[in-house]
Amino acid sequence: MSHPVLKDAPGASICMLGNHAIVRGALEAGLQFFSCYPGTPSSEVGDLLARVSKPAGVLFEYSINEKVAVEVAFAASLTGARSMCGMKHLGLNYAGDPISTMPYVGVEGGMVIVSAGDPSAITSPNEQDQRHFSRFLYYPVFDPATPDDAYRMTRYAFDFSEKTRLPVIMRPTTRVCHTSGMVEYGPLPQSRNEIRFTKNPPRYVPIPVNARRMRKELIDRFALAEELLGQSGFFPRRGSGTMGVIASGVGYAYASEILDELGLYDRVSLLKIGAYPIPETILSEFLSSVESVLVVEELTPYVEEIVSLNAFRLGRSIPVYGKNSGHFPVEFEYNPDMVEDAIRKFLQLEPRTIVEVALPELPPRPPVLCSGCPHRTSFYLARKVFGKNTVYVNDIGCYTLGYGEPLHSCDVLLCMGSSISQASGIARTTGKRTVAYIGDSTFFHSGLPPLANAVQANDDITVVILNNYITAMTGFQPSFSAWESQYPDSSNNGQKDRGIVLLDAVKGLGVKEVYSVDPFDEAQTLDAFKKAKSSKGVNVVICNSPCAVHRVRVEPDGKRAPYIIDQEKCNACSLCVRVLGCPGIVVEDGVYFIDASMCDGCDLCAYVCNRDAIHQVEVPEHA
Amino acid sequence: MHDNPKNGDFRLRILLAGTGGQGVITAARLLSEYFVRKGDQVLSAQLHGMAQRGGAVQSTVCVNSGISPALPRGGADVVLGCEPVEAARTLPYVSADTVVFINTAPIVPFVLSQNYVLESGSSEYPDLGMLEESLRAATSRVYPLDATKMAQEAGSLKTINVVMLGCLFGAGVVPYPSQDFIDTIMVLAPPNLAETNTAAFRMGVEFAESLNVVEQAS
Repeated sequence: MSHPVLKDAPGASICMLGNHAIVRGALEAGLQFFSCYPGTPSSEVGDLLARVSKPAGVLFEYSINEKVAVEVAFAASLTGARSMCGMKHLGLNYAGDPISTMPYVGVEGGMVIVSAGDPSAITSPNEQDQRHFSRFLYYPVFDPATPDDAYRMTRYAFDFSEKTRLPVIMRPTTRVCHTSGMVEYGPLPQSRNEIRFTKNPPRYVPIPVNARRMRKELIDRFALAEELLGQSGFFPRRGSGTMGVIASGVGYAYASEILDELGLYDRVSLLKIGAYPIPETILSEFLSSVESVLVVEELTPYVEEIVSLNAFRLGRSIPVYGKNSGHFPVEFEYNPDMVEDAIRKFLQLEPRTIVEVALPELPPRPPVLCSGCPHRTSFYLARKVFGKNTVYVNDIGCYTLGYGEPLHSCDVLLCMGSSISQASGIARTTGKRTVAYIGDSTFFHSGLPPLANAVQANDDITVVILNNYITAMTGFQPSFSAWESQYPDSSNNGQKDRGIVLLDAVKGLGVKEVYSVDPFDEAQTLDAFKKAKSSKGVNVVICNSPCAVHRVRVEPDGKRAPYIIDQEKCNACSLCVRVLGCPGIVVEDGVYFIDASMCDGCDLCAYVCNRDAIHQVEVPEHA
Repeated sequence: MHDNPKNGDFRLRILLAGTGGQGVITAARLLSEYFVRKGDQVLSAQLHGMAQRGGAVQSTVCVNSGISPALPRGGADVVLGCEPVEAARTLPYVSADTVVFINTAPIVPFVLSQNYVLESGSSEYPDLGMLEESLRAATSRVYPLDATKMAQEAGSLKTINVVMLGCLFGAGVVPYPSQDFIDTIMVLAPPNLAETNTAAFRMGVEFAESLNVVEQAS
């Protein structure tokens, strides 16, 4: 059965995830090329296209990183293809170099960069406001409030991109990406853009002499973008009152629902900001009709400052409230209560009467490394050899969960691929061997240059590549790491024979001392760490073991027999719990046992136990 | 409550809570699809981003309710708490009118087996009575049940979510017959689980019907 996103059913009302609505919008616009690097909350865009790209006739790739994703998609656009690429907010920064000059060169086929935002840093090391790319680098940026907006804006964006020759950014936030809402399908396209690359170097080569010409054209094209957005319908106004509320993104969803409930549209006018640049005609008309303004937008006071400036230019000295006035905080996501309180304050209504009910103290459920995760074994064994005084620099992936109790394997962290470079910096100044942890997908994303850099500098670092053959944290997207056993969907983009053997890659960068081990072969792994610790310069230990969750999903016989604790031998010393943090080991009333439904049969707890109290359940030989 | 509902003439905001692996997101998806098939407008959101195995998960299903993806304080009409601590975590969304179903079978958070100490100094799973009472302070309509046991009796622990959905339909707050929902399960859930799912759903319906939830409120 084909996926509902492919359904040719104009007028059908479908409840779909915001990220899937983006895919539908792109398919209706005649998408021809897609590339992405996964990152929460954007991943479902690429994951859905991975499933439907073949029947939809879309060229698809999970790229090695966001910079490459943007570059291949942009080049596809230069051949006329309507192209899209997907990433999270930080990925857009990684692609900062190409995206800076793309608006200068301009597109042929429409191009949409989906860069999902994460206010409140729910699954990211920071929160940031990609709307600034609009003024910073001349990008039209779409700011959907709902899945339906995301769908309609994406469908609109390709044609708009071609008319202005500007690549555009679609910026949904977590609450749009991960909300399912109603979308009314339009028709799928009858025809698509013709693919043809016509040589025209002055147009495609931004050497300074051309770049200066492009710079001037860019200003005109951006002005055209503003004019077209003025006719786009993404800036609807409701109400006729002189109290103006201007809202964007999910802030609009909250504000409009609250104003609906309060029923005050004779006093209030609500203007939705659906994209940037904000058409000045629309904003000026609105500001001329109101006596004061409240701006409802998450993250930076971006609209608020544009509104203030616009009012000043109009000679309207009306108060503009928002973040600067303290009606809203600068940081983190909004919620309906926060927005209602601010609107009531703005309209000088009575505050709501809230019945305060005390929330009892509840235990948290923080994310932990899964039982059977090979990273736990690698962390435990490395720490056994390198000790507690070594600095462990970690990277972005599941293995970040090595942070804190009990593994203590994350002393420093910054961004994708930074573990190796940061280990270099620390080792060079302290003169002490420093350990860097990095996963296979992150290593290929941005770990290769810092490793070559460390080799050149001859830094005393040990790089531990945690090779689980998959991009696990973001939902099991393929990695570039080659896998001999050829799982059906794990090799890159279905190209089973094209993965890269990590050992070859590391040696190719000039690392002389490389160990390739199975972390569950404890003796072999300890031996490698010991040798690595006692030598000079850069060395690399590659810990190869498939992601425990993914292995069970794709291998019918992947489930290993669980372990049990022999209560006769266990003296409740708590060592296994204290050093491993495995969620499969449970303590109840001082008794230690293993939850068989959780246990992956990895053997680490049995290895750690001093009393030989933990054994694998005996299973009959495989038939 | 709803004698002859026309599509779209009622509003219902349901909050599902549980831990990763309990099928909270699947249940929200089933419900959403059910109401869409009925011709209603649905908005469904996941309130927590990191739903790793064992993490806390909340999902909303808002029917004919507008475009806001998050509930205001006290904004849930019904809470389906698949686990006691996770049910208690929904307290900010509970008002005097909210109907709360709590599965009384705890899933002890992993941190409590790992020498984790709460601010109170306790490292024990909170007292079940205390969790229920904290919800009762907000609404009188709190209904505990052992949904885990019912799911087991139905044939699979994976149907705790379906037992809870049965409670929703048995409580009389959905203006459509509960048999309709069984048809949806038949279409959307794996065929080999159809019988188990139906049995689990019926247990939830029967439990909630016996409570006369709607009469108690009026």
